[in-house]
Amino acid sequence: MKLTRKITSILSDQRVVLSIITLALFLFFGLKNKAFFSADFVLFPLLRDAATITVVGLAQLCALSIGHLNLAVGRMAAVSAMATGYSYQYLGFSLPLGVLVGLITGALLGALTGWIVVKSQVNAFIVTLAMDFALLGFVTFIYVTFTPAAAFTTKPAGMDFWRNTSLAQYCIAGVCGPKIFPMMIFPMIVALLLVGFMYGKTRLGRELLLTGSNLRAAKLSGIPVDRRVITAHIFSGTLAGLAGVMLGFTNGSFSAAIGSEFMLPSFLGPVLGGTLLTGGSVAVFGTMMGTLLTLVIRQGLSVQGIGLETLNIALGLVLLLALSLGQIQKMFTSIRSRGRT
Amino acid sequence: MNLKSFLRHRMTEASLTLIFILGFLALVATSQGVLLSEESLQSFFTYLAIPILIGMAQMVVLAVGQMNLAVGAMGGVSSAVMAVLMADHKFPIWAGLLVGFLSALAMGAINGALVVVTQLNGFIITLGTMTILLGFQYRLVRTFTIDQYPTSLSDFGTKSIGPVPYILLISLAVSVLLSLYFTRTGSGRRVLATGGNPLAARLSGISNARSVFIAHTLSGALVGAASIITIASLSGINRSIGGDWMLSSFAAPIIGGVLMAGGTIAVYGTVIAAGVIRLVDIARAQYSLDPSIVSFTVGVVVLSTVALSEWRRRGSERQHVGRKVSA
Repeated sequence: MKLTRKITSILSDQRVVLSIITLALFLFFGLKNKAFFSADFVLFPLLRDAATITVVGLAQLCALSIGHLNLAVGRMAAVSAMATGYSYQYLGFSLPLGVLVGLITGALLGALTGWIVVKSQVNAFIVTLAMDFALLGFVTFIYVTFTPAAAFTTKPAGMDFWRNTSLAQYCIAGVCGPKIFPMMIFPMIVALLLVGFMYGKTRLGRELLLTGSNLRAAKLSGIPVDRRVITAHIFSGTLAGLAGVMLGFTNGSFSAAIGSEFMLPSFLGPVLGGTLLTGGSVAVFGTMMGTLLTLVIRQGLSVQGIGLETLNIALGLVLLLALSLGQIQKMFTSIRSRGRT
Repeated sequence: MNLKSFLRHRMTEASLTLIFILGFLALVATSQGVLLSEESLQSFFTYLAIPILIGMAQMVVLAVGQMNLAVGAMGGVSSAVMAVLMADHKFPIWAGLLVGFLSALAMGAINGALVVVTQLNGFIITLGTMTILLGFQYRLVRTFTIDQYPTSLSDFGTKSIGPVPYILLISLAVSVLLSLYFTRTGSGRRVLATGGNPLAARLSGISNARSVFIAHTLSGALVGAASIITIASLSGINRSIGGDWMLSSFAAPIIGGVLMAGGTIAVYGTVIAAGVIRLVDIARAQYSLDPSIVSFTVGVVVLSTVALSEWRRRGSERQHVGRKVSA
């Protein structure tokens, strides 16, 4: 009895379930087609994408934590990447300085969004959607006006290192790191640790979550709710900016296309990981697992030679299924608890 | 109704009409009257028909306080269905159009049912269905352009009374019907009540679930109508259809005075706002500016309209409160 209860409690942890499904799918795709295990062509790019998209997911997670949505994640990433690319091409900035420019741009965009949300009291998804439309035109306009090829192509020293190097080139006492891990996972790990630490261990994180779960209660317990809303959007913008810069590094150039594919994955990761859309509960590590799962499905299907259209159908279904499963689970627990009393 | 209260309630629509007339005259003047030629007037009106209908499709969902991100994907799939049926399966025109229209209606109904059953935000549901539908659209048309359907259909698209094409008349007629539905029928008013205050609506015996379902289904039907017009006015259907519908679907109703919080509609405002956006597009072509400048302008206008309308609403609320206290 005790053992079964323990097993159910482990199995009801979304992260465990996610890891098991991801691993099973990973093995399934690999056994069906050996090409899936190829380090150079599949796994290395997969993890490089996973790193970027996890950061996008974290950007969305910060907005979700206070019960908001950020529909402009992709475009914030685009503007930040544009700022970074501009600083490399026209100002001759060094690599870390350019990254800093991108992060600050993202933070400013987030602050602006948060400020509009607080001041106008308009629903966040409307403000961010309108923001997305405004930035969309802005980004294309800047690229068309300032660049000959609609992209900033200057590569500062060290960019290729971040793009192409894997841990295999680092050896300690003759043991080298695995070839499948790209350098890109380090920014992701840093972001995961920082966001996880903030929500798990700090007062700021708890205040954000409380703001998300019950705005009135948060206000009554003396939390500066308006300021926390802006804070959450600043974090969201900064992380979106980081993701944009990471994608720019991966592509080797900065163009208006950066971020245009971010919206769906930004929700998939956190939602699969167990983050509530209504706010108040986040799953930082789960976001990474959710992202990995979607990427394994995507890459696995495309290695099987299944086209883009089926991938879209599959990912849309995964999102709808994950959402409905959460809802069904909630329904069952409420029925069960009602039966008990 | 006296003039003052009329102006206060119709402020947005009156000023949009003024902007439309002034902008039109300015464009006529700077183009040395080229815009007044029958040809350019006809093309102006032809490409106005689709934005009006997709604006309406978004407006009915906004009326219940939700949004439909899938308008473009739904339009893409339903026009692809029409084109494939008529070109590859030799369906007669009426049957092809009917099946395509019904498919759009069904997609709207599915959105509505999913929102009602899962109790989730309509935005996230339509994000999911949008992704799925984009997959289906690609499956249907691949990378081809389908144009082997009967030419009588595209002939119909070019027919007009004077400079006004039939298809614009169709979308105006649909708008009038929609306006009648919301102002004259019980069902329409119940939908608006749900959007205005779901709790109050429920307490007065309105089924919010039914209102949400009706709004999404209606949105699907309007997308279906937009697809019929699309296939009649374009020479071929490819995978890019619907890709640029999202911004204009939101822009027209929001600029036209529809509150995103729900509970309001503005049929005339949406139509005239679509006209203004069309003028911006014409101006861009006339001064040969980059297309991105249009989406930037429209986006900024939408963002400021959203912020302004809320600010104005709160201002008027404060005024009312103040008045009550002093009385």
